[in-house]
Amino acid sequence: MSSERKSSPTTLSFHFTPVDRAEEQPDTENPHIKETSEVSETITALKERFGDAIEDVTIYAGEFTIRIPRKEIRVVCAFLKDNLGFNYLASLAGIDRFTEKDRYEVFYNLVSMSNNKRLRLVARIDEEDLTIDSICDVYRAADWNERECYDMFGIRFNDHPDLRRIFMPEDFEYYPLRKEFPLLGVPGSLPLPPQTPEAPLTLDPFPAAHGRKPAKSFEEEAPSE
Amino acid sequence: MIEDGFLTTRLDAVANWARSNSLMPMPMGLACCAIEMMAFAAPKYDVARFGSETMRFSPRQADLMIVAGWVTYKMSHAIRRVWDQMADPKWCIAMGACASTGGMHRCYGVVQGCDNFLPVDVYVPGCPPRPEALIHALMDIQEKIRNEYSVTKDFESGKARDAIAPVRPRIVTPDGDGIISPSELHDQKARHGHTAIHDKNP
Ligand code: SF4
Repeated sequence: MSSERKSSPTTLSFHFTPVDRAEEQPDTENPHIKETSEVSETITALKERFGDAIEDVTIYAGEFTIRIPRKEIRVVCAFLKDNLGFNYLASLAGIDRFTEKDRYEVFYNLVSMSNNKRLRLVARIDEEDLTIDSICDVYRAADWNERECYDMFGIRFNDHPDLRRIFMPEDFEYYPLRKEFPLLGVPGSLPLPPQTPEAPLTLDPFPAAHGRKPAKSFEEEAPSE
Repeated sequence: MIEDGFLTTRLDAVANWARSNSLMPMPMGLACCAIEMMAFAAPKYDVARFGSETMRFSPRQADLMIVAGWVTYKMSHAIRRVWDQMADPKWCIAMGACASTGGMHRCYGVVQGCDNFLPVDVYVPGCPPRPEALIHALMDIQEKIRNEYSVTKDFESGKARDAIAPVRPRIVTPDGDGIISPSELHDQKARHGHTAIHDKNP
């Protein structure tokens, strides 16, 4: 472990392990399907208004997921809120699909309080241009969710009022929920406090395992063993 | 001149007795474990019995830090600063699997054990530990304090030699005559399954 803080970020790579595919057939036998996820009327209304802009509608476990192009997200959200009563954004976050094309996805869970319905919107983003329009001016609740999505995946939200990292330190150089990010982080990227008052920040993430014993107090020397 | 009864003792013994029975914890409650730490301080488990009921939210007035919960890298700097602001002598308990080792949070954001930047005296296992376990940790700290001594060389007989172990607390037998030493109590129990009572003058 070098004691100097690295000047440029480490290049990360990831070894992909194939996993089981989700079932192709829609799961219509699911006894837990709720009335609240039955939104075919909303989908008809959306198709009437936006036509071909609705790229895909998938049903899994009785829940509808509507895929739209990322350019349309603000307009679709505004339409859903003003005309179809989806007045509550429950959550918004990113997904790393780890594909060549359209690698990232942002999903939006919307709730209609008046009609008691739930709907999921999804927009895909390619690595070439990691941007999508912010929906902060439609749903105020999107503010911190979009900041989290930016913090974890590096997706930039156009016209967001205050797009800063929300969880990780401001000077952190990586996006930790991307697939290539190692589980235990990049050593040296997040420093620990110094081991002695005069020492620099501890860059080793496991100083205790490497025999370091933090000083009890400022007057005392760290025990040497 | 001295008519009533009097007592002679070592200064260390008095200081240790006072310190160990008036520990003021700094509750560094960071996650779910903090709920159990509250139960530990609340009337049901009643840590007031051990003189530690005054949770001090100011580091200047605390001498025992209880790290209850997982520690993020971002928070570790604040915790070390609070620890450095606490006046000596001070002790530290790592409460729960997360504070001791990182626990189930084996990920980029959580420090894998707060002993990476704090000198921990007692580790409490469990997720979360029961309040009894934390009381046991507190009693371990008390035991540690009672065995501390500030004299490292003893010049009593003119020649420097290593200081003898400090005065240990005495447990008096129910009839009030015998004395039980805590370590022997433990040994006897382990060997015979019961405690022996010492003679008056062993
Ligand atoms: S040890 Fe368990 S209860 Fe305690 S902070 Fe960790 S996860 Fe929560």
